[in-house]
Amino acid sequence: MAMVSKKVSPCVSSARWNAYNGYTLLSPVEGKRVYLLDMKGVPVQSWEIPFALGSHAELLRNGNLLCAVKAPEGPLADFEGATGRLVEIDWDSRIVWRYEDLYMHHDFCRLANGNTIVLRWVRTPSNVVDNVKGGLPGTETRGVMWSDSLREIDPTGKVVWEWLGYEHLDPKVDIICPLCFRNEWTHANSFVVQHSDILISLMKTNNVIIVSKETGETVWRWGGLLKLAHPIGVTWLDDDDVMVLGNSIHVPGMERGFSEILTVNRKNNNTVWEFRAPAMNEFYTSCKGGLQRLPNGNNLVCEGDKGHVFELTNDKEIVWELISPFYNSSPTYGRNNMLFQAYRYGFDYEGLKGNVGKLDRVWLVPEKKGEHPVKKAHPSEGEQALHERLSFLGY
Amino acid sequence: MSLMERYGVRLYKPEKACYGYNLINLYNSGNVFLIDMEGNYLHRWVSDTAIRNDATLLPNGNLLYGKAAPLPPETDMSHPRVGVWGIGAGLVEVDWEGNLVWKHVDTLQHHGHWRMKNGNTIYPVSLVVPKEIADKVKGGIPGTEDRGMVWTDGFREVTPGGEIVLEWNAAYYLDLKRHVECPVCFRGDWTHMNSIEELPDGNILTSMRNISAIFIVDKANGRIKWDWGPGEVSHQHAPTFLENGNILLFDNGAHRQDGSLISYSRVVEVNPATNRIEWEYKADPPQSFYSSLISNAQRLPNGNTLICEGMKGRIFEITMDGETVWEYLSPFYSPLLSQFGKVSLCAQAGTKSVTNSLFRAYRYLPDYPGLKDKELNPQKLAWFNRLYGPQFLEE
Repeated sequence: MAMVSKKVSPCVSSARWNAYNGYTLLSPVEGKRVYLLDMKGVPVQSWEIPFALGSHAELLRNGNLLCAVKAPEGPLADFEGATGRLVEIDWDSRIVWRYEDLYMHHDFCRLANGNTIVLRWVRTPSNVVDNVKGGLPGTETRGVMWSDSLREIDPTGKVVWEWLGYEHLDPKVDIICPLCFRNEWTHANSFVVQHSDILISLMKTNNVIIVSKETGETVWRWGGLLKLAHPIGVTWLDDDDVMVLGNSIHVPGMERGFSEILTVNRKNNNTVWEFRAPAMNEFYTSCKGGLQRLPNGNNLVCEGDKGHVFELTNDKEIVWELISPFYNSSPTYGRNNMLFQAYRYGFDYEGLKGNVGKLDRVWLVPEKKGEHPVKKAHPSEGEQALHERLSFLGY
Repeated sequence: MSLMERYGVRLYKPEKACYGYNLINLYNSGNVFLIDMEGNYLHRWVSDTAIRNDATLLPNGNLLYGKAAPLPPETDMSHPRVGVWGIGAGLVEVDWEGNLVWKHVDTLQHHGHWRMKNGNTIYPVSLVVPKEIADKVKGGIPGTEDRGMVWTDGFREVTPGGEIVLEWNAAYYLDLKRHVECPVCFRGDWTHMNSIEELPDGNILTSMRNISAIFIVDKANGRIKWDWGPGEVSHQHAPTFLENGNILLFDNGAHRQDGSLISYSRVVEVNPATNRIEWEYKADPPQSFYSSLISNAQRLPNGNTLICEGMKGRIFEITMDGETVWEYLSPFYSPLLSQFGKVSLCAQAGTKSVTNSLFRAYRYLPDYPGLKDKELNPQKLAWFNRLYGPQFLEE
């Protein structure tokens, strides 16, 4: 019997020497603000976006913020992860580019040539639907099963490349999880581009695949019901290894509340590294989350359901952690501090160049009147919570 | 995994809470404690083996608990149910000082137990489904029978002298069309009974996890008088009969089949006359209250409900309106060993996992007969309270 105890509840636990120094970008689910925090958890920059986030935001190399926001009028707006619009804003939250496609969801990627790859839903042709196995019988949405496609658009919005999942996936292998609805075949939720390959996590079919951008073919596939349960984040490590975060919500057998991070070797399909929490139930996220490999080799893990972000070394030591103090009220999740994804940007990150000097503590205002200096109007609940935590820490 | 948690009694609103003594049973540890509302440890029982099943304080002041089956290498690996979650080695009754009063060895016993009005004890057991019925059992992952066998559950009634006077096997009474196993559970464990209670009229109330149903079994002829749950709850635990005739149960919510992609638990009160849910408690945000396994709920005399979120080691009391008026988080972590192979209780966790889980928790009011003339003085465990008691939490 061992005892673990900590009295304080700070926003960030202390960073160890081997943490990757920089700034952390938090995009609260369905929030209208995105925050950049320093290693102590103090917000040093915040952006206001004109719509509530549908998934997450990313700081681009050009210094702008690209946000996937929700289009509530979209035909599939009630699907998990639906976005519908991409908005690019500059450092001062002015819109510089926008793109609308009501079928977009989850992830996006800005390429070096200035084009953007987006993830979107497409209708699966009915002759394919009949061959797709798995899922709970009769749970298509009015007979329709949606599948995923990737589309590359140029800055004017012209489609320059498209990959239709149903043309390349295999109904015999890509089987829907037995507990999931058949309204979607794969439910892709994150993808990463490297050279001409795209690594995609397909949640409902419990696998990760690599698609060749040139041929559209699936060049590698790993997973299946008994190997991987509901991947929600992927990242490339090098040419041979990929890392995947499985949330384990529909894990077969006893559901014990462990999400897991696995590193899989592409050459031999072996799991070469794995991480689960040392204590039961202490790392579990059932629907949101993501991974980022940092330049020093550490991993930034976003345990999205709990708003918990931590940095993990390859020796499985946690060297930095944070609990998001930004709360939003959402009709789906109630009052929550969930995060879709978190990113860490080093001091030398291109997108921060010219702006690092501008980073200064953002004064957030509590709703209680008269207690603290008021510098901005319309504070949110999350800001109040943050302020309370900061004053608790003595800031 | 966060170091930011606060342990012990974290919240107490004396004017709204129902005063009493809390019995907690540390999962896989063998330590059972009585704690008062302030968080003082008043009494401690230490078992010579781990306890992974229920422990209750009987009205005669004795503690009745299920002994855990020994771990390898002591365990008999040829035992038909080795490694199955919840399987025990029989029941043990000890007095206030921990002296053995009664024991009953049954290696098929698991989960709960109930001391009946006639002095006998009734408890769930694992039983084989006869081959001709096993072939007709629907659901589960194909090919996951346990060494070719499908197991179900039943209960046995044992007299104080150790004589089995009744055995009930669910296989002969379940409806094969309606009681379909969860599609991602193993076929070796069709039903997975996890609680038992004798109703005031002598019938038996029980719960079967893998088919998400609770039952009232007619004690006179063994027939199922009432069943409820499929489509309403998922992988529930611990139904208890209330004075108003309703049944309170813990709806764990693992493997939900309603298309929801977020894990949450709830506590529901169902009226068996109408099959309608008359009260429920769900947290805001929902994922902040989730225990995939174990857990229970108890209705208190003032109308409040005590909830044990077992996997997370958290107990809390809520009012009818859902306001939390008392909360405790267990600071005691026990090791979990992973040597049973695939079906072990912690195969997912690796070999070094620990847990602060609590199998169930009960509150006994000061006038409970089992507490009569018992010394409930924190000074008795003064050394223990100095380490873990309430003063520890003071700023």
